[in-house]
Amino acid sequence: MATYKDYMLFDKLPQTWCAGCGEGIALQSIAAVLASTGYDKHDIALVSGIGCFGRVDDYLDLNCMHVTHGRALPAATGIALANPNLHVLVTMGDGDGVTIGGNHLIHCARRNINLTAIIANNYNYGQTGGQYSATTPTGSITSTSPYGHVEPPMDICKLAAAAGGTYVARATSYNPVQMRKLIKDGIYHKGFSLIEIMVACPTHYGRYNKQGEAARMMKLMNEQSITPEEASHMTEEELSNKIVVGCLVNKERDDYYTKYHKIIEEEREEA
Amino acid sequence: MKKEIVLSGVGGQGLISTGEIIGQAASIFEGLNATMTASYGSETRGTFTKTDVIVSDKQIGYPNVEVPDLILCLAQVAYDKYLPLFRDDTLIVYDTDEVKKADFSKGQHIGYPFRSMGIELGNIQTANTIALGVMMKHTGLLTKENILSAIASRFAGKEKAIAMNSKALEKGFEL
Amino acid sequence: MRKTVKKFIEGNVAMVEGAIAAGARFYAGYPISPSSEIAETASKELPKHGGMYVQMEDELSSMATLLGASLAGKKSFTATSGPGFSLMQENLGLGVMSEIPAVIYDVQRCGPSTGAATKPAQGDLMQARWGTHGDHGIIALSPSSAQDCFDLSITAFNLSEKYRTPVVFLADEVIGHLRETVVIRQPDPSEIINRRQPDPDTKPENFRPYDFSGNTPAPMPFIGDKKFLMRTTGSTHNEKGAFCPTPDNINRVTNYLTNKIEKNADAIVITREYHLEDADEVIITFGCCVRSAMTAVDRLRQKGIKAGLLQLVTIWPMAEKKIRSVLSSVHRVIIPEMNLGQLANEIRKFNDYGCKIIQVNRNDGILITPQQIIDGLEAK
Repeated sequence: MATYKDYMLFDKLPQTWCAGCGEGIALQSIAAVLASTGYDKHDIALVSGIGCFGRVDDYLDLNCMHVTHGRALPAATGIALANPNLHVLVTMGDGDGVTIGGNHLIHCARRNINLTAIIANNYNYGQTGGQYSATTPTGSITSTSPYGHVEPPMDICKLAAAAGGTYVARATSYNPVQMRKLIKDGIYHKGFSLIEIMVACPTHYGRYNKQGEAARMMKLMNEQSITPEEASHMTEEELSNKIVVGCLVNKERDDYYTKYHKIIEEEREEA
Repeated sequence: MKKEIVLSGVGGQGLISTGEIIGQAASIFEGLNATMTASYGSETRGTFTKTDVIVSDKQIGYPNVEVPDLILCLAQVAYDKYLPLFRDDTLIVYDTDEVKKADFSKGQHIGYPFRSMGIELGNIQTANTIALGVMMKHTGLLTKENILSAIASRFAGKEKAIAMNSKALEKGFEL
Repeated sequence: MRKTVKKFIEGNVAMVEGAIAAGARFYAGYPISPSSEIAETASKELPKHGGMYVQMEDELSSMATLLGASLAGKKSFTATSGPGFSLMQENLGLGVMSEIPAVIYDVQRCGPSTGAATKPAQGDLMQARWGTHGDHGIIALSPSSAQDCFDLSITAFNLSEKYRTPVVFLADEVIGHLRETVVIRQPDPSEIINRRQPDPDTKPENFRPYDFSGNTPAPMPFIGDKKFLMRTTGSTHNEKGAFCPTPDNINRVTNYLTNKIEKNADAIVITREYHLEDADEVIITFGCCVRSAMTAVDRLRQKGIKAGLLQLVTIWPMAEKKIRSVLSSVHRVIIPEMNLGQLANEIRKFNDYGCKIIQVNRNDGILITPQQIIDGLEAK
């Protein structure tokens, strides 16, 4: 029986992330999910971008393509379309996934590319000193919003759902059991799947906003968590400070490769 | 042997198609060299457009027409533009429906009402091919058979277009 | 197996025919004048050969998708023009650093910025060389006929696979839209280079995706290979493809990326000569200007002037040896180009011989005429 260790590299440990960062939990969850699928690691491709969570590939013993900031989804699109037998995972942060790469996320979801995007949302650019991102809550202090952030945050899951994502889910690093289930369901889902993982950044976001130690930040995250069912009875205002966790979208639609392959079968001239 | 040909008019008159037919007939079926460059812009219909075709038995370097031997003018704007380039031995084929010949202009002029003839033939879109027949009859540059082969190749799979353009070419050769 | 056929087609279409003949089966791009016929033709032809076309949201993603597809086993290409090529520089650099093959067709138009979108220029010489940041080597080829668009496409993919690098196909609007006879043939398999695979006896744990010890890239298994795991990164890395930003390693990697191309220049460089052997008056040029230069040579020879032409088919790496042999043997050279002197400035770097360099430049979207080249010579 494979364990998470079979999918990991240990020569770069200890991990690069700060003490209390939730991304180590996400890393271990990904490796554990892969172990539970039993997939041959040669059939898995991991594409990562730039940012704290883009460093996941340092610790995974898989086919890895580490690319530029924001372009992990398009690079993964190429892999998924070139070889439909691969299980393609994409690890990004909120900066990578929905800020510099937001346009790619929309179109990747719309095309329904068969891959699994795992976005670790820590509300800021952790790797470069805690500047604000597209998910930073209004009023937050960051290293580039010292007087309070004036922009509204982007809801990653709503964006992915609106763009046509066929599997969209959210988990927090407080609840790795749920996280694993959602990642696994996302990997088994055919088409574009996205799992947003809320992670605490005690070094920057937590410190700037006086949220306390990592444990307190995680506890807060859990207190904010509600199910989609609970959310359905709440007003916009009541929802403003909540984190809706669980599977938010799960539907079937032919992915790009499947649809395009029908054209190839029709038009193909050579054997 | 080298012939520099200008096909001019306004967008939508099928001049690129005519150029392709000449180029194909010359290069694929006649065994000569041919180049074609067309004016290229974001406008597609109604504004001045021209296609340069060069046919030669030698390798063709510079692909734009410098001194035209043969000019087709299907619109006044085109005729006026090329008027200064006419020499005594330039052959100008023009549409009498659309173009008023300039007094005292140089060159040998051959005019027919191509537009009306195209309508009479059943499709205004064949005016250019009738003119092509006239041009090739008067220059002897390419054989009718090779042009018909080029038409068949250019419109491969479109039987109606092949028939219509073949008929138009024959009409031009009869004039 | 496709039969050899002759077609009267434009350069842009011939590029796609050439790419397919070279084995390319994946296209990702964003349409832009004057290259759009490449996208259109690719979308029509690729499925017939089992290939795939995807139109991306921009050129940033196009280039990234290209590299992903290449890594997963498909020879891949894209097409663009100046503004799109600018956006591609980001992930062109990723391709250079990660050492992933791909071919980028740049059909040059007037710039900067939107410039004159439908008019020809040759102003991307330096963008092709230095558009992406940091020291590296690059290969760029420039066609001067529709037939070149076919033949050099095969060369471009071969070089890309051999040297594990993106290759720029530096065309221009004149050649992209020039219709000519093109002989389309299926190359013999011996003509086609595919990326080197690891020795089958290599133990998986001993395989290294990078090798900086010489000027030859490491073997490159596809993602999906059943024996070897592949690992690439745009970060400075060691042989394992692991992040390694030590001063020694940064130095080693950038030197390697430069030397991989520059030290192999003799094997990469392609030039052509037209009446050069006995020439007193030499024209050096590339791309569309070659056509004007050939006609100028013919006319000068008719006047009894011994003119000749050196055509640079590879723009990068520069044909330094050949250019030096010309500069050292004649009193002057004339360099026509559709920019304000990007090629002339490169040639000056090799001019240790006091050879006079005459520039003929045009940046107004009109192809330099043979007469302008002749005037350029006679004015001096």
